[in-house]
Amino acid sequence: MCRSPKACLHPVCFALVLRMGDSVIGFDLVSKRYEGNHQALSDVSFKVEAGEMAFVTGHSGAGKSTLLKLLALIERPTNGIVTLDGQNLSTVRPGDVPRLRRKLGMVFQDHRLLLDRTVFANVELPLVISGVAPADRGRRVRAALEKVGLLSYEKQLPSALSTGEQQRVGIARAIVAKPSVLIADEPTGNLDPQLAMEIMGLFAEFQQVGTAVLVASHDLMLIKRMKKRVVVLDHGRLMADVPATEIV
Amino acid sequence: MNATREPRRAEPAPSKRSGPQHFSAWREHHLWSLASSFKRLRARPLGTALTIAVMGFALALPLAFYLLLGNVQRMSDTLGRNQSISVFLKSSQNAGGAETAAAALRERPDVAEVTIKTPKDGMDELSQMQGFSGAMQALDSNPLPFVLQVQPRPGQSAEAVDALIKAMHDMPGVDLVQDSGSWRQRLDALMSVGTRAVSVLAILLSIAALLVVGNTIRVDIQSRSEEIGVLLLIGGSRSFVRRPYLYAGIWLGLFAGVLAVALAVLLELAMAGPVARLAAAYDGSVTFGGLPAWLLLVVPLVSAVLGWLGARLVSARQLRRAAAA
Repeated sequence: MCRSPKACLHPVCFALVLRMGDSVIGFDLVSKRYEGNHQALSDVSFKVEAGEMAFVTGHSGAGKSTLLKLLALIERPTNGIVTLDGQNLSTVRPGDVPRLRRKLGMVFQDHRLLLDRTVFANVELPLVISGVAPADRGRRVRAALEKVGLLSYEKQLPSALSTGEQQRVGIARAIVAKPSVLIADEPTGNLDPQLAMEIMGLFAEFQQVGTAVLVASHDLMLIKRMKKRVVVLDHGRLMADVPATEIV
Repeated sequence: MNATREPRRAEPAPSKRSGPQHFSAWREHHLWSLASSFKRLRARPLGTALTIAVMGFALALPLAFYLLLGNVQRMSDTLGRNQSISVFLKSSQNAGGAETAAAALRERPDVAEVTIKTPKDGMDELSQMQGFSGAMQALDSNPLPFVLQVQPRPGQSAEAVDALIKAMHDMPGVDLVQDSGSWRQRLDALMSVGTRAVSVLAILLSIAALLVVGNTIRVDIQSRSEEIGVLLLIGGSRSFVRRPYLYAGIWLGLFAGVLAVALAVLLELAMAGPVARLAAAYDGSVTFGGLPAWLLLVVPLVSAVLGWLGARLVSARQLRRAAAA
């Protein structure tokens, strides 16, 4: 397998491309076994198109976080192929990992904000990493903060914000570099239902402008209310892949 | 096989950057790291001040010794220039013999000046010395011989001066040669030991300064393991994460170097008064020399390099640990 199957005419790559189609995120028969023989994922296959939002759900230990870790290149699959924007993540060299991570916007349950830096400085980080000029950074950070409704908080420290506001800052940081994929691991785990819906509403907005959004959540009520595609995992196996149109 | 498809909306382009883009991003990273590292140091003023103080004092010590040794050397050179060798002629030698011996010595390339002191000059000198005047008046005749005061040419080695003394001793009509500059040879030997000691001390204290910075950066990285994890997750490369710590090392080193120079200048100012009084005691022939300007410029730069090295030594290993945590 090569790193860029979509640009390759090798029969194996070609077959993969046929299966993945024009997807932004692709899992093809992906398995992950951790040390100690713990099988976190078994032959999981699904894909997410550009501008599509999908939930990954399942009980604790179902493999949701492992799935996201494979996408974020925190873990590598034991078998199968994970693709991100047409690139085979299994064969990415360690030196190329940061470059690929910049394609992703990541939102964490615990926000992972830098508490000694202002809201502006936190949101600015992905742009700094990408080498964007300061003037452009300021414009884009303010646009992202405006999008999540926190423009007036730019000079505040995260500790001065509520949990919901901190999560919004985390989202602004995830979207500021305009990634093609947004992944979120239990982003509403610490929020009340109303705030959780607001956050999900933001994700839906990003989906509408062409970003592929993959959210791991065990909040079935919330998932049901969002009426988006749902991928159900159980003990590392894909149990169901329910399209948005079939959500009642 | 190796081409990559452009993503729909990702900014900046995830594929490898072109030359100017790469340079621009590199420049932005460095500028950000430079400012960010300075802000971090400013955010914990006490810790930063203590590190700078420890490092600055460590670097100021060799500078102080260098200043001291330089001035002792200068003083010994100045006083050494005024020292002469006394050649006592036999009492049988008269003024003509003294003139002949002086002329022979003036011909030598290793002799700068020869002055003849007559027995009368010697008697006058002794008479002026406290307690001698009565004794001199009690003498029936002048027992003092002709003396040649020989000043060796400056800048000669101790061996060359020894050879000159031996040659004068072997001259006909010479009774005794008295070298009042032997103290200088001992001082030169002591200076040589001192210079070596200062060099070793400078190396040891530089290593200490390097370790101080290294330890400060190690602790800083340890306390920021969570931040490092976040930066790596959102696409920061290891070199991007590491760079602010290297710049912090440079800042610490630079400020410590400036502090060391400031302390050395303060020492210069403190020494200026006593040295002026000493100079007055030697008719102004002794002057005080400060540290050279080039050294005052080089010390902060060398110190900054030491800071960078200290940060570099610990950051790679410590970042790996922090990232793993």
